[in-house]
Amino acid sequence: MKTFEEKWTAWLDGQLSGRELAEFEASLPDRAAAEAEKADVRKLGALLKREVGVSAFANEEFFSHQLRERIRESSVPSAKWEAKASTWWTIPRLLWTGTASLAVFLIFTVFVIRDKNPAEKSQYLTQILNARVDPVVSPNATVSMFEVKQDRVTVLWTEGLQSLPADYAAK
Amino acid sequence: MGRTLAFLISFVLLSIGATSALQGAETVWSGLVIAENVAQPQTIPPELTRIEGSLKKFFGYNQFQVIGQSQKTLKTGQEDWLATSKFFGLHVDAQGESPAGYVLNLKLYKEKELLLETDAKLSKRSPLVIKGPQIGSGQLLLVLVIQ
Repeated sequence: MKTFEEKWTAWLDGQLSGRELAEFEASLPDRAAAEAEKADVRKLGALLKREVGVSAFANEEFFSHQLRERIRESSVPSAKWEAKASTWWTIPRLLWTGTASLAVFLIFTVFVIRDKNPAEKSQYLTQILNARVDPVVSPNATVSMFEVKQDRVTVLWTEGLQSLPADYAAK
Repeated sequence: MGRTLAFLISFVLLSIGATSALQGAETVWSGLVIAENVAQPQTIPPELTRIEGSLKKFFGYNQFQVIGQSQKTLKTGQEDWLATSKFFGLHVDAQGESPAGYVLNLKLYKEKELLLETDAKLSKRSPLVIKGPQIGSGQLLLVLVIQ
């Protein structure tokens, strides 16, 4: 057994027919007002149907737009990073890096050479450890040694060696 | 990151290679030189150019002529070699390498007769000059230079 509200809703939707429709319309206290209300409801239904249809389409657009934005947002940073990574070693930067490396190498080289030089002035001069002259051949020979700081030459100076004729200067 | 690492490795290897090249095998020039005073002196041999001033100043001669020479590239620091002229021979026996240079035993022979023997630590930047016997109006000098 349907209630009045159920029959009223069905009547508004045009779902009553036959005897049931006749009985319901006969039960209405103000038929004209009910027909007017039914007409309003149909207009409203048509309006809602139209509007709901449009809004549904708008929502679809909105969500797809949102989705596209999300995808773009998530893909843009990596694309930017890739672009950055692939373009960091540009020709000018390579040139600058090469120049800087060469400069660092030269600085290190200069430091190494500068570190060596002070030692060479003293410790790294040639040293004569000992010297012997054959006492039989040159019994009066003596040896001495000195260093010429200017050219860093070490000289072993002998005196009293046996003199030889000029023929010994032959090549 | 990978490229930076590769660059750093290349830089380090380049530096090491260059340093090794700087400290590589060296050549010792040994010469028997006759120093004389002449009216028209000849040009000094290129091996003696860097010590020309010292030679002239300390020995008092204006001409220096090479009568015997030898160039030896030292790889192990244990090599030995001979620089000879017609009558003289300079035997050089390298007995090891140190940061300061090479330890050398030098023997000067007149034909087969040993005139002089000395041990020296030859520095890589410091030539060694030995005054030998008087020969005629000149002087025999023994010169060792690391080139």
